[in-house]
Amino acid sequence: MFLAVFSPKGNDEVSLDATLMQQLLRRDVSAFEELYERHSRIVYSLVLRILRQGATAEEVVQDVFLQLWRNSARYDTSRPFVPWLLTLARNRALDHLRLKSERQRRREEQTEEFPQIASAVPEYEKALDEKRRAERVRALIGSLPSAQKKAIELAYFEGLSHSEIAAALNEPLGTVKSWIRNGLMRLKESLQATS
Amino acid sequence: MNTHDEFRELLEAYALGSLDSADRALLETHLASGCAECAKALEEARWLVSQLAYLAPNAEPSDILKGRLLQTVRAEAASDSPQQQAVHATAVPWWLWAGVAALLLFSVYSAWNEQHLRNAVANLQLQAEAQRAERLKLEQQLSAAKMQAHEAMIWSDPKSVKIKMPPKDPNMPQLEAMWHPEMGLVVRGWKVPSPGEKRVLQLWLIPKRAGGKPMPSMTFWPDANGKFSAMVENPPDTMSDTQALAITEEPVGGSPQPTSAPMWVGGVS
Repeated sequence: MFLAVFSPKGNDEVSLDATLMQQLLRRDVSAFEELYERHSRIVYSLVLRILRQGATAEEVVQDVFLQLWRNSARYDTSRPFVPWLLTLARNRALDHLRLKSERQRRREEQTEEFPQIASAVPEYEKALDEKRRAERVRALIGSLPSAQKKAIELAYFEGLSHSEIAAALNEPLGTVKSWIRNGLMRLKESLQATS
Repeated sequence: MNTHDEFRELLEAYALGSLDSADRALLETHLASGCAECAKALEEARWLVSQLAYLAPNAEPSDILKGRLLQTVRAEAASDSPQQQAVHATAVPWWLWAGVAALLLFSVYSAWNEQHLRNAVANLQLQAEAQRAERLKLEQQLSAAKMQAHEAMIWSDPKSVKIKMPPKDPNMPQLEAMWHPEMGLVVRGWKVPSPGEKRVLQLWLIPKRAGGKPMPSMTFWPDANGKFSAMVENPPDTMSDTQALAITEEPVGGSPQPTSAPMWVGGVS
């Protein structure tokens, strides 16, 4: 039930996103509506998790999709759409969360308005559809020790640095670094597994 | 010194945005050096990090958000199309715009030029009026000067005959006349009282022949000081045929026959 919001999306689905994005170039409102129907729930879920306020989250989601509509020409259709969209939404939400803070400055240095995202996606990306990848992600991260899981969540959803996470969890910096890296490596291995 | 493997270990955290500034600077320097292996690994790391979005609890945006978005998008799509169509449909060739601009400029110039010419004509008219007035004044001055010169010549020429014209009224001043056989006749007076209202003084030539009627000549007025000088270039009769000069008071415009008794009479010798 938890994963019900994620509709299965295989390779055909990925190419459908690229096609819809191309239609946006022709100002096709129906293509925009279909893209919204397909991805608005995961985008809103992510933004709400970061901002924790429904009204603010909807503002950011609206901003993300309007950017999609207005700047569709800047999207490279050869790249995977959903990771790109999620990275865009995360960046927007974190910018909103930490407006004018030092951490935002650091993020702005790292990210462009349209995020850089995997032009060379890993081979295992195509091995699983979106629903199964989501299941793998939740299962793997859910299996981690709570402190390690917390460290990854603080980094991803709060945008904290290693030092900030170490301070927040009252753990050594080296430990936090290891937790995050090891957690992501385990996630990578989990997604690489075809079965 | 960081080794290549050590940089590789930083890539996931870099994609996550959690690297502290010192590590981030070192890694970015390494990436800027053109390490293709790390660049490719970084792209995969970014993809991997994006998958963490699925950790977010399920939530669904409101229908209001969708409605608001679609309303905005439809409005923008509608405004884009008519604008683009309008641009093409109403596209006017550049030469037509240039022609319109030229006509506009010409109209403005014509209006300005017309006003300018009107002003110039008005100025010329004013100048002409002034010149005409000046010429008239000069002509009057010239005429007066000529008359004065003529009078002076008559008065000083040896051929002129002086005629004394005593008044009938002893309270009136005596007048004098000077008659030149060719240049004419001049009558002068001083301290002469003005004639009555709507009346003038008129000169008469009394002929020698028997039964001859007085011949009317010019009319005149003394000035505010009672001075006058009246010249008759072509008297109605010759000096030799004239017995006397007489001055009467007559209505304005003069009379063909004297209507009053002579106030001054001078015999022509």
